[in-house]
Amino acid sequence: MKQRLTALILLCTLLTGCAATDKGEQPLTATVLAMDTVMNFTFYGDGMGEEQLRQALSGAEDTLRQLDAALTAQGAEGEAAALNAADGGWTAVPQSGALLQQTLELAELTGGALDPTAYAAVKAWGFADGNYTVPNREELDALKAAIDYTRVEVSQDGAQARLAPGQQLDFGATAKGYAGDLLRRQLEQGGITSALLDLGQSSIAAVGSKPDGSPWRIGIQDPAADSGVYLGVLELSGRSMGTSGSYQRYFDRDSVRYCHIIDPATASPARSGLAGVTVVADSCLLCDGLSTALFVMGLEEGVRFWRENSALEFDVIFVTDAGEIFVTSGLKDSFTLADGETREVQVLE
Amino acid sequence: MSRGVKAIMAALVLILAGSAAFLLLRPKSEGHVARISLDGQVVEEIDLSRVETPYTLTIDGPGGFSNTITVEKGRICVSKAGCPDQICVHQGYISDGTTPIVCLPNKLIIEIIGGGSGLDAATG
Repeated sequence: MKQRLTALILLCTLLTGCAATDKGEQPLTATVLAMDTVMNFTFYGDGMGEEQLRQALSGAEDTLRQLDAALTAQGAEGEAAALNAADGGWTAVPQSGALLQQTLELAELTGGALDPTAYAAVKAWGFADGNYTVPNREELDALKAAIDYTRVEVSQDGAQARLAPGQQLDFGATAKGYAGDLLRRQLEQGGITSALLDLGQSSIAAVGSKPDGSPWRIGIQDPAADSGVYLGVLELSGRSMGTSGSYQRYFDRDSVRYCHIIDPATASPARSGLAGVTVVADSCLLCDGLSTALFVMGLEEGVRFWRENSALEFDVIFVTDAGEIFVTSGLKDSFTLADGETREVQVLE
Repeated sequence: MSRGVKAIMAALVLILAGSAAFLLLRPKSEGHVARISLDGQVVEEIDLSRVETPYTLTIDGPGGFSNTITVEKGRICVSKAGCPDQICVHQGYISDGTTPIVCLPNKLIIEIIGGGSGLDAATG
């Protein structure tokens, strides 16, 4: 009898205990408008007080706004804007020097498929302000001639930089990734063990996993479908991801679609046969920059780059214009097709 | 079995049934509320599960133009906007909390709160 009683009491306690933890695991979330996009942050306390969690969140927002103002090519205070206005003169880059160095390294690594000096072309096509135009051949030739990351110089101490006269630079392909890496470090130092930083959908950085130890689940947009229709789900723990796609920003002119990703070799929107590229790696900056570069390269060259650079420890999901899905071997287990999706996933070894 | 023990057992069974009923029958979190905000201020909350007839509403934002929002049962979209990029219109309908609709030039955000899609984020 006594045993039965104990069992009953235990059962009751368990059930009420369930309800209590259910409530205790509500995350703190915030939406921030920065870097020309909308960012969503999810923080779990994991035993931390709510006040402490709020402080970490507002600290992250402060860092982000500061970075946004410092890195922009459009605002008056931006260091990229100052570099562009200096017409080849040396300019102080106290906050963007490290980002500039890392971006130039990525440009070299990708053979210029990523090139931060393509900003004049971004502007000429109207992707900076939304006034879309198709430049003529002469304009394109002039734009092409100005794109060359090897002509950007950074001082030995990294505090100053200069472009070649007439060059225009922006950090559009790497700023969010850089911010993701910086914020993740800041949060980890503040004792946060479970957070998801969605820096505007193209760049996502995960701090740890969810409080129950399960990975974060990220929907991968189907490039050919309406926004919010996912072709699959990627599980992410303590790593980052970056996506570049022709469906994200584009305009149609004379029944041709022009996407926002500029191919530095042509100074024109990239046309590589790919519709979307997602890169997964530890560094958010690497994901951000590489997704752009691989999109420009196209499937064949992109796969070759992946095979030749295994030391970078990254993986890729390629989706072609025809809707084929290719996944590199490291994502074999963490990527699953959405329910009802009948396409074949081709695993690259 | 003594009367006292029986009484305790009966009480425990009642508590057990009570907590089970609470856990199983409590209302599911709101589900389908669309929250529309301008520059961080909430201007409208719409329970999408209760929309019977589709309708539109027009919101003027700090960008100096308006967004026309179409509301249907279970989903919502920006159907017309004065912004140059039209990203909010291109995005089409949303029906869960994974990706909000954002019109940056007008500082307009439409997000679906309360429900869940089983996803923590998404590429866009």
